[in-house]
Amino acid sequence: MSGDATKSLGKGSPPPGPVPEGVIRLYSMRFCPFAERTRLVLKAKGIRHEIININLKNKPDWFFKKNPLGLVPVLEDSKGQVVYESVITCEYLDEVYPGKKLWPEDPYEKARQKMIFEVFTTILANKKTTFFGGSSVSMTDYLIWPWFERLEGLELTDCLDHTPKLKLWMAAMKKDPTAAALLLNVNHQRHFLELYLKNSHEACDYGL
Amino acid sequence: MQCWSFPRSSWVLGATRPIWGCLCVHPSYWASETGAMFPGGQVAPDPAPDHLPASQPIGHTLNLGQKGRQSAADPGSCGRYCELGVPCRHLEAMSKDATRTLGKGSCPPGPVPEGLIRIYSMRFCPYSHRTRLVLKAKGIRHEVININLKNKPEWYYTKHPYGQIPVLENSQCQLIYESVIACEYLDDAYPGRKLFPYDPYERARQKMLLELFCKVPHLTKECLVALRCGRECSDLKTALRQEFCNLEEILDYQNTTFFGGDCISMIDYLLWPWFERLDVYGIADCVNHTPTLRLWIAAMKQDPTVCALLIDKNIFLGFLNLYFQNNPNAFDFGLVC
Repeated sequence: MSGDATKSLGKGSPPPGPVPEGVIRLYSMRFCPFAERTRLVLKAKGIRHEIININLKNKPDWFFKKNPLGLVPVLEDSKGQVVYESVITCEYLDEVYPGKKLWPEDPYEKARQKMIFEVFTTILANKKTTFFGGSSVSMTDYLIWPWFERLEGLELTDCLDHTPKLKLWMAAMKKDPTAAALLLNVNHQRHFLELYLKNSHEACDYGL
Repeated sequence: MQCWSFPRSSWVLGATRPIWGCLCVHPSYWASETGAMFPGGQVAPDPAPDHLPASQPIGHTLNLGQKGRQSAADPGSCGRYCELGVPCRHLEAMSKDATRTLGKGSCPPGPVPEGLIRIYSMRFCPYSHRTRLVLKAKGIRHEVININLKNKPEWYYTKHPYGQIPVLENSQCQLIYESVIACEYLDDAYPGRKLFPYDPYERARQKMLLELFCKVPHLTKECLVALRCGRECSDLKTALRQEFCNLEEILDYQNTTFFGGDCISMIDYLLWPWFERLDVYGIADCVNHTPTLRLWIAAMKQDPTVCALLIDKNIFLGFLNLYFQNNPNAFDFGLVC
């Protein structure tokens, strides 16, 4: 089962203790695509981490001290330093932790990937490589992937019929070990969405 | 990559932590002897001079030599020596971007010469302003091509899919757009003074601060348009004041001159263009209740880079008048040639 398969913390829950040394903590929610970006990067880089799921329909008061906006994902380290905004968390992890760099080292290549991320729908028509970064999966692919992963659950896969390149990209992503390890359960996602739209407090914990 | 560890124990936790406390840098971080922000212990550096004034003879290149470090104690000189052994002085050149815009029917510019980077810009655009500040602050050799935004050249869409500015182009025909991406690219690719901190956490913090600011550009623009169209905009101004309160809170808690600490850094330059425009947009009263932010504005106006690029108020007003009359010559207002 996925490393984040724990019940979410909601209003009235006690605040979690400090983050142990050598570990980074992610405040997350199992079905949130933004938080999934960070989980993908944590996984891809093999970073030791712990996950605390937040009930986004019934947020704990202490959570606003971590992120005044009350949104996930949020990273917290053992020094109490907090980073939020999904793209910023991904970039931070890539800079701080060793191993495979997900953003390219070359300043222009890095800028290019960031631009791609900004306007990827337009670039798509000109895409000549399998992945957005080139011939192997990289940061841009992970940043975009969560939304496409959810198309099935939202019954929107027909949207891709006129973009065969994108369909190929999705197939390639499903084969990537990191994305495969975190693959969303379509059934769970459907039920989550149903409950979420009814503002149910149980939505975030569906499937546990 | 250098990593400056941030001693948690030095936080003063007794004081009431504001909402945005998680984004505040602790003052002691900047008091360290090594000057955590800048390598080599630079303190409040002046911008490096432009290395491309037209009057310089070809071959007059500047190299760092023995005294490569900028010295704040030696105003008027960046402490550098050119290959002729002559100390380099700041050159009070005319604003680099004081050139006529290129519009529809204009010839596409040639390739960018080696050793130079080109910015496609517009003299009054706040987003381009960010990138021009970084070019100036880092002393990067560059040329400016202004684009007529109401009458864009057809060739310009080969530089940017939507014809937006700013766009950087280098001699390898590489294009970089989106103002923040362009600024970050320049900081990464060019040597010398680093505007973003070295520490990844401090860098992340500056980016989170930028997110905090993200509603300001839209709100200031809406206020401008409303006022120019004779509509009232008190709701917009209230919203803007609220955004300014958030920034005020950060500066108050940090008790530092600038958003990144006691030295000016990338985040300050990224925010500045909108604050410079408050007056000409007619919304300067939006900082009436934020005194610390006003102090920051005053400190920014003392910065040599900001000063060098400051836009004349009357010229700006002239531009705005023509712009709101839909006059395509607006963008060239105030040019002498």
